[in-house]
Amino acid sequence: MLALALLGATAVGAAEHPSEILVFAAVSTREAMEEIAKQFQRGTGQTVRFSFGSSSTLARQILAGAPADLFLSADLDRVEQLARAGLVRPSDRRDLLSNQLVVVVPAASAVAIKGAPDLVRLDRIAVADPESVPAGIYARKWLESAGAWTKLKGKLIPALDVRAALAVVEAGSADAAVVYRTDAAISKRVRVAYQVPLAEAPRITYPLARIAGSKQPAAQQLFRFLTGEQARAVFTRFGFIVL
Amino acid sequence: MVFTIEDLEILALTLKVALTSTVLILPVGIAVAWGLARWRGPGKGALETLVSLPLVLPPTAVGLLLLLLLERSSAMGRLLAALGVDVLFTWRAVVLATAVMSFPLLVRSVRTSFEEIDPRLIDIARTLGRGPLFVFARVVLPLSWRGVLAGTVLAFARALGEFGATIIVAGNIPGRTQTLALAIFQRSEMGKDRAALHLVLFTVLLAFAGIWITERVMRRRQRSRS
Repeated sequence: MLALALLGATAVGAAEHPSEILVFAAVSTREAMEEIAKQFQRGTGQTVRFSFGSSSTLARQILAGAPADLFLSADLDRVEQLARAGLVRPSDRRDLLSNQLVVVVPAASAVAIKGAPDLVRLDRIAVADPESVPAGIYARKWLESAGAWTKLKGKLIPALDVRAALAVVEAGSADAAVVYRTDAAISKRVRVAYQVPLAEAPRITYPLARIAGSKQPAAQQLFRFLTGEQARAVFTRFGFIVL
Repeated sequence: MVFTIEDLEILALTLKVALTSTVLILPVGIAVAWGLARWRGPGKGALETLVSLPLVLPPTAVGLLLLLLLERSSAMGRLLAALGVDVLFTWRAVVLATAVMSFPLLVRSVRTSFEEIDPRLIDIARTLGRGPLFVFARVVLPLSWRGVLAGTVLAFARALGEFGATIIVAGNIPGRTQTLALAIFQRSEMGKDRAALHLVLFTVLLAFAGIWITERVMRRRQRSRS
């Protein structure tokens, strides 16, 4: 039955998406990437399709065989992982962006936070999954180096990705969340209670990679566009640090 | 309530996938159901268990098994790559996941209706010199078509709502693999509850239609029996 299903599906969908570029991107880049794709599409007529999610999920999918053309990851490890599997060539990657961790609280909350130790006074703190998702791993490393991790562990609400962590605070279901400053900037329902100084947190890097075996020639064109001036301006406007 | 083009695209993709999956499993499901209803020899229990497995396993477990079976580094994955066919994280993967998950529902329903047929009717037709295919088409199906239809509707409904296996083998790619169930999940995770509710309305309407059809078919079946 499996074989039959595959066969049937193959026959039905023989020629699909010939002109689409499929980009897997860290969910924190959603608004900026959609804006840039719109500009790219206006200029070239090429359609760009996105799958946004946690970089760990997306990398796992690419490893398994997802037909992505480009991957914008929120950490270096995911791209390293793909490179080791032969799915990203060294010449096909470039460190594109950086970001900063912030602590957000519901917009109406009066909580004051002056550093990691202050988080211990709160009850529920949303973070992207600190075991696998880049935003969560960055947050964990920051809290570990600040000596607050073990005290906070029982209070954490792990979320699938950084935007899900943001949504938990937006809904008022957590007292705070550790997210990127770019996430905080797109939400009206949260306010930034604390900006983690860049020197106190792990260095955040978003590498852009072209996936080997991509059958889409226009992917190279989009790769160049994403590293170009026009895209840099958009990333900067959304609060990213362009490398 | 205003539906966006994206909402309608998600609905269209969901229907397309569920329809494809149901059409693909229908002939196989009928054959397997017939085998289970008639076959008395060895191997029946094993086949029975295998067919029912997706019904009792967590959908995510089924998804992971399918993923491991088809991923790039597996034998099957290499074969597919050699043929130039992308399956994982394309809409074909959605069809595959929904097909596997809804297959047991189809088989169970069809099999029950086959078993309700008086076996003497089949034997009589056979002794009158008719071949098995003729008997199946002219005796078995006319007596059991309601069960087949009900099973088909059930399988289709299951296909519409499949989530756990789908997200593992097909991801959640808007416009390619994102069905209603996946889009509802994504939107609610993002805190976009209102947008998610639009899609929930679709699923409610589809569910009503599905249940209504099944109920009507079943009621007539009961009436015709009494």
